[in-house]
Amino acid sequence: MRMKNLESRPENSKSYLLICNSKFLIFVFALCVCSICQAAGLGGMEKSVVMIRGAGQEFDFVTPWKPKAMAQGVGSGFIIEDNKILTNAHNVSNNKYIELQKEGVAKRYLAKVAFIGHDCDLALLAVEDKSFFDDTKSLELAELPGVNTAVETYGFPMGGRRISVTKGIVSRIQVDTYSHTGADSHLVIQTDAAINPGNSGGPVIQDGKVVGVAFQGLRQADNIGYMIPTTVIRHFLADINDGKYDGFGSLGVMLYPGLHNPGYKDYLNVPADQQGIVVIETTMHSSVEPILKRGDVLTQIDQYAIDNDGRVEIYGLKLDMSEVVETKQIGQTVELAYYRDGKPMKTTATVALNRPVLEFARQYDIEPEYVCFAGLVFVPVTRNYLETWGAEWIKDVPFYLRYLFYNSMQLNEDRARKEYVVLSEIMPDEINAYAGGFKSQVVASINGTTIEGLEDVWKVFEKPPEGFYTIMFMGMDRPLILDAKEAHTQQAKILTKYDIPFGFAQGRPQQTRLPSTGSNQKEVQQ
Amino acid sequence: MKMNLELRIMNEEFRIKRSISIISFLHSKFSILICVFASLWPAGTSAMAGENQTREEMKGSIVYLEISSYGYDQIRPWKNTDIQQKSGVGCATGAYQVITPAWNLTDAKLIKAKVSGQNEYVPAKIKTIDYEIDLALLELDAGTMKKPLKPIRFEDKFQRGAKLNYYWLNANAEMTTGQGYMDRAEMARSTVSYAYFLNLIVTNTSQETSTGQVYCDGSTPVGISCWSKSSTETGLIPAAIINNFLARAKDGNYPGVPAVGFAAEALLDPAMRTYLKMPATMKNGVQVTSVYTIGTGNESLKAGDVILAIDGKELDAYGKFLYPAYDRILFHHLITSHKIGDDIVFDIWRDGGKQQLHVQAINFDVGQMLVPYYEYGSQPEYVVTGGFVFQKLTRSYLTNWGKDWDGKVTPHLLYYLRDMAFKPTAQRREIVILSYCLPAQINLGYTDLSQLVVSKFNGMPISRISDIVKAQKLNPGAKYDVVEFELDNPTVVIPRQQLPQADATLATSYGIRKLVNINP
Repeated sequence: MRMKNLESRPENSKSYLLICNSKFLIFVFALCVCSICQAAGLGGMEKSVVMIRGAGQEFDFVTPWKPKAMAQGVGSGFIIEDNKILTNAHNVSNNKYIELQKEGVAKRYLAKVAFIGHDCDLALLAVEDKSFFDDTKSLELAELPGVNTAVETYGFPMGGRRISVTKGIVSRIQVDTYSHTGADSHLVIQTDAAINPGNSGGPVIQDGKVVGVAFQGLRQADNIGYMIPTTVIRHFLADINDGKYDGFGSLGVMLYPGLHNPGYKDYLNVPADQQGIVVIETTMHSSVEPILKRGDVLTQIDQYAIDNDGRVEIYGLKLDMSEVVETKQIGQTVELAYYRDGKPMKTTATVALNRPVLEFARQYDIEPEYVCFAGLVFVPVTRNYLETWGAEWIKDVPFYLRYLFYNSMQLNEDRARKEYVVLSEIMPDEINAYAGGFKSQVVASINGTTIEGLEDVWKVFEKPPEGFYTIMFMGMDRPLILDAKEAHTQQAKILTKYDIPFGFAQGRPQQTRLPSTGSNQKEVQQ
Repeated sequence: MKMNLELRIMNEEFRIKRSISIISFLHSKFSILICVFASLWPAGTSAMAGENQTREEMKGSIVYLEISSYGYDQIRPWKNTDIQQKSGVGCATGAYQVITPAWNLTDAKLIKAKVSGQNEYVPAKIKTIDYEIDLALLELDAGTMKKPLKPIRFEDKFQRGAKLNYYWLNANAEMTTGQGYMDRAEMARSTVSYAYFLNLIVTNTSQETSTGQVYCDGSTPVGISCWSKSSTETGLIPAAIINNFLARAKDGNYPGVPAVGFAAEALLDPAMRTYLKMPATMKNGVQVTSVYTIGTGNESLKAGDVILAIDGKELDAYGKFLYPAYDRILFHHLITSHKIGDDIVFDIWRDGGKQQLHVQAINFDVGQMLVPYYEYGSQPEYVVTGGFVFQKLTRSYLTNWGKDWDGKVTPHLLYYLRDMAFKPTAQRREIVILSYCLPAQINLGYTDLSQLVVSKFNGMPISRISDIVKAQKLNPGAKYDVVEFELDNPTVVIPRQQLPQADATLATSYGIRKLVNINP
């Protein structure tokens, strides 16, 4: 909007000047009114919501010493107590550089991740330059909103560079998968307020308080956007109180809504009027493994009664019983009531991570490990590794990898197993010229030693060489044979030829690893 | 002036105009054209005449086949699939007998033949069929035939690069011919079975031929077509296979061909050879990677053995031996070309030294496989009880998933096909699965269960699908039939008292006439 330069008009008659002046006054007045409108429209949110520009770099899960492509993105975040900024983990995962900007303020501020929870897609940022918080307002968290109540989202979505607000209602509250890791489920609130790329991390407001963090949407639908409710946010904030993010835990039990079948119910000796959910199996190493048995029927968790669908009434809603577990931190306990062989029993279960031995959640902020020996590259089997096969990876990966992805918890009987290891790549050399048929196969044992984790691979190879290495793979009939002495002789040459910094990237110096702000599930599993 | 000269030299219909001037003019043109024609004629009019003669003779030896087939739905095995019509070629090996590839006859319900010079169809029946060599012997109804067929004899004639003619009768009983070029001999997998057998590969064929077209080198029949890869390649069942088949099928007690009882892979890695303590000069031998529980050699061979020679014929590192006429072909032929019962000598390398094994040539019925490769002509076996559809797992059940089936099927089921299909044991003869559940009151709460492997029924370990029928009679006083599955899955309980009524209702509402099918 251009301003007129009144002083340059030579023929200003008084009346004209008056008119001009009045026009000018009107103009200025109008401007002021517009600003007030704008400010009134945003309700002061521009002092709480920030734009986050993140630059990140993904890791290579096949040949982990190679850095992958850089990516930049724009998202939103907002200020909460103690001068911290809450946003989505997916805005800042694998980050190398984070830049913040306030609405209407030109200056850019550098930020760092203080805590990040990939399993709930939340992250807390810290800003070094404390002047960032001048003239800002922190937002308070509210409780769960009611269905069909009005909410507003604030953020910096695509389509512009200024703060944007959209309005809608709460459509639905349920447990659903958080797509950031693709494997973790928590409570989500669905809204028809437009949530678009760039909105991620922005607050969803009701009566001036935060009822959720906007984070994902359903592409193929109309008006379906999701936010992370404050129950999950509070869990995250409580978790990081001790300076370390531990994550969301579980009971470690596999359940089935079998009581819908009256025959099954009778067979399990459950009283006719009793509802509950059937225990099929317990997870290895879980706290309930020595306590609960197949055929037990869980009827109550803490003070909540469990129905035949495995749901409880909590927050005034019927939700999956895992919601009760979600109110606990790892290490805390729940009281369980169950029926066994017709007798009511009680026990205490401890909430723990209980991850499957083939981790099916995507991992971030963890530099992948590898062993490169004789040009053979070994990595742990992870969701990230499997996804290198592309969008249809679940159909395209070699058989055994799919078999394990679906069934690792049932197939694995090895209590000491930490993970599965796969031969992910072969750096060509004479020594491995015949190894091609073994690429992408899962290692079972080397020289008779069962491989229960990547470390085991290195331990076998670093021993003084003699005879042969016999590498057996799962689902394959014959081993890969390597001449031990020759393998050791070629090792250094191969590393140099292909610019590979280390043969075993776990014992490398600390500074090449990111600080442990992520939920490093592997560390806690043992 | 443009003269329209229609020279019908073959038919000798050459109209001579009475005008002398024209005659003389034509005469000169005619002679020129005769010369031109003669120079354009393919080398040796006798060859063409010879081909014509063969073509004429073949008319009495080749039939057109029309096949109506009718199979079963893999996931609703009480239901038939639609009728399919196929056509094929039969080649006479007896007065009222023809051979044709077996793949065309899977699930055949009605076969009709058309012979040259006769309008009516002649009914035909399968006398002997062997899917492992993709061959079938049909018997035509003599009563319907005006005259007997002229049997032809196949001969082993292999000339690399030779031009071959093929012959077949089309739907109008007209002789149709085409050409191709003999390229090589190769062990190829039967299109309808797990077995490898000797094929002659013909290239650049005039058309796709895969339904039994008879290929001749000059006047010598050398084989019949059984598969084609567009027009670039065709596989023929060679004379040797055909003649062995006919000899063994003669007395009606056809024993089949020997089956290989192990899997072997090329032994190229020098590190593996050193590891096995083979001398550096020993470059031959193929490595046994897996030994089955059925088939030739299953009792004598061990995984890791290196087969150096079979019947004195040395195998190279790829498992190929030198067959004088054909160059190198895979070892399977050395086993499958024997008669059932023959003694086969294996020279192997085991535990750092040479050994010689005497192995009897045996085969197995496809039904003996833990996961049968096929069940042509049979209804799939199943038990429907309480709405739960239990089926015997077969390869056909899994390939029914269509393109990329091996990426789509439940991994635990594929594991049995991939790793265990050839390894039945006394404890586990078949894999029985819960295919899915037909929703009904009696199975409320279980409706979403599917693709699970049954481990026990009423406490009895299930080794084959017929065990389910046996197990249903166990625990006479019990209230429920109890079904347990492999991996971590819920237990299914079916209230016995409600079963008869529930089954009757299910049969009616889902249109199932037969709730149980166990083949004898």
